[in-house]
Amino acid sequence: MSSVKESARAAASVAGKSGDTILSVNDIVVEFPRGGKSGFRAINGVSFDLRQGETLGLVGESGSGKSMTALSLLSIVPLPGRIIQGSISLRGERIDNLPVNELRKIRGKRIGMVFQDPMTGLNPVRSIGGQLTESVLRHQNVTKAEAEEIAFKALDDVGIPSARDRLKGYPHELSGGLRQRVMIALALINHPDVIIADEATTSLDATIQAQILDVFRVRLSKATLIMITHDLGVAAEICDRIAVMYAGRIVELGTISEVLTNPKHPYTVGLLSAVPRFDVRRPKLVPIPGTPPTAEDIVRGCPFAPRCRHAQSKCEERPPLEIVDGRQVACWFPRGSNAA
Amino acid sequence: MTDLAKDAKPVAAATPPGATVRASTAAADVQTIPVWQNISNVLGRRLIELLVLLVFVSSTLFFLLRFTGDPAAVLAGETGDQEQLELIRKQYGLDKPLPVQYGIFLIKMVQLDFGKSFANAQDALGLVFERLPTSFTLVLIAFTANLCTSIPMGAWLGSRPDKTGRKLASTFVFVAQGIPGYITGLLLIQLFAVELRWLPSIGNQGPQSWIMPAITLASFQAPQVIRVISANVAEAMREDYIRTARANGAGFSTLLWRHALKNAMLGATALIGAQVSFLLGGSVITEVIFAWPGLGRLLVTSVQTLDFPVVQAAVFMIAVFVYLAIMITDFVFLLIDPRLRRQRA
Ligand SMILES: Nc1ncnc2c1ncn2[C@@H]1O[C@H](COP(=O)(O)OP(=O)(O)O)[C@@H](O)[C@H]1O
Ligand code: SF4
Ligand SMILES: [Mg+2]
Repeated sequence: MSSVKESARAAASVAGKSGDTILSVNDIVVEFPRGGKSGFRAINGVSFDLRQGETLGLVGESGSGKSMTALSLLSIVPLPGRIIQGSISLRGERIDNLPVNELRKIRGKRIGMVFQDPMTGLNPVRSIGGQLTESVLRHQNVTKAEAEEIAFKALDDVGIPSARDRLKGYPHELSGGLRQRVMIALALINHPDVIIADEATTSLDATIQAQILDVFRVRLSKATLIMITHDLGVAAEICDRIAVMYAGRIVELGTISEVLTNPKHPYTVGLLSAVPRFDVRRPKLVPIPGTPPTAEDIVRGCPFAPRCRHAQSKCEERPPLEIVDGRQVACWFPRGSNAA
Repeated sequence: MTDLAKDAKPVAAATPPGATVRASTAAADVQTIPVWQNISNVLGRRLIELLVLLVFVSSTLFFLLRFTGDPAAVLAGETGDQEQLELIRKQYGLDKPLPVQYGIFLIKMVQLDFGKSFANAQDALGLVFERLPTSFTLVLIAFTANLCTSIPMGAWLGSRPDKTGRKLASTFVFVAQGIPGYITGLLLIQLFAVELRWLPSIGNQGPQSWIMPAITLASFQAPQVIRVISANVAEAMREDYIRTARANGAGFSTLLWRHALKNAMLGATALIGAQVSFLLGGSVITEVIFAWPGLGRLLVTSVQTLDFPVVQAAVFMIAVFVYLAIMITDFVFLLIDPRLRRQRA
């Protein structure tokens, strides 16, 4: 049996989309210690590659480890959590084991992140311009005046009206949609290699969601992007590839059309069938019956087994992420044409 | 594409790329007016409030004093007979009916004339002003000492409250908060004035004599502020905007000093304002312990001797200063928190 890493690399070459690998995540585990006992694994062996210019969707139920994956890329997993295993490489350089001073040069400079809640994500007592220029001055060798000009351009670029005046303004003066644009501007301001958007539209209402998605579509069409979302509709619209997460692991990863039209993992199948078909509005991920396991349940074996209709005795062994029909699936009995 | 993917399209089609990237401005288009304009607005309102407050406090005090005792008896002393009393009452206008006395009092108060001290016939307000520099020296030093210890200490404790050393320090601060100021004062006197003879124990004899009273005052005010700041810093450090700043490469000190502390100070400002008001009101016990010739002690003596004019003048000035402290607290709030500033549509 090939290791997870090898199969991930193999899949990357099979999928055959040109473009260099920018970010390579190998088998990372994030653990939260629980006094005495073995720790709680918020993510448990996540691997994927991200290529220049592509948008990778990360979907899965709440608690499946999407945010933790994103945070671990920047090594900002909340304490006392830690990355205890695996490696992350950005353009071929390890970035998971850097000293904190080096890490800080990557955060917001080479990897930019947009968080879910724009209402709480900006400092309420500091001006918008101040928060933007702080990041510019940290990462770019420019004067204060130049930094302000860069901040103005960044706001203007993401479609904030009268951006010049907004620099002096404060977050509470802006609506949720505009604040999220500020968050996007902040993530983009130093032209990072990779942008991560963690449920960037989830907390906004439908019209504003569409507007923010447009920012991603138009402004970030060429960016290398990880788009975390609850929303398969959003993923379908924006992503080139999609990774489905379950209980801290990726269970299926492939191009958006492959995965959505022909899901192989029983969990993905369940997710897609749980989506109401005739709803024109973007369908949200509706959890399939049963509850996702907590770390306690996953001693070994397939974490999905308790909810899986196809579980067999073999499933007591952990299925590796392997290539099936040009995409990766972690299941002993993948669905579809050549399933067992 | 699945049905799902197709279903998702119409929404997108309704918003052609490019055209909608510019956000509608209708949702929120408020702008905060400059902070100085806010301050001048507040100032006007506050001054009127102050006038009302002064009339109210002085009137209440006027009547309370009239019911507590007869200053003529005090002035006449043990040996004074009825005739002397009458004479004294006439001399100080205490023989007139109460409403008339009150009317005269109000008219004079408007002219800042509180009359002469019963005790030594000096101008009452003048006596109060004499004490102000001494009192303010103490207030200023105690206030500075308080902030200079409690802000860094609170930030340090709150930034990583889980560390062992800080847990210990927090416990210490908690205990210190419970120690009354007069205990600290007496201990300081015992140690530095009696045993070591480093510092003078009574009166205002220059900078050396400021140290112990100031420490005494700061020692029971600072722990309160430290606890509030550290709790607020700890809370602020868990906020989303800290995570955002961290994701943009901010180091620990930037997170703490630039992002968390300003938010934490919001919660501490009201407490610090109240503490300053308390100091201005004359820290009576401390002034008594150190025989400090401040406003607090003047107030105590003049109440004891029923020296009405001095009591009235002292309370009047204290009310003014307390009110100024409240006003300044308001401005500090406005400076720290833009959300409190008024907005124009
Ligand atoms: N600060 C934390 N301490 C301990 N466990 C956490 C913490 N944050 C998240 N978790 C756990 O990690 C798992 C993954 O969470 P998360 O990545 O936020 O999920 P998602 O973003 O997919 O909803 C969840 O089981 C969650 O309970
Ligand atoms: S490995 Fe077994 S239990 Fe797990 S998803 Fe596949 S069939 Fe279901
Ligand atoms: Mg999440």
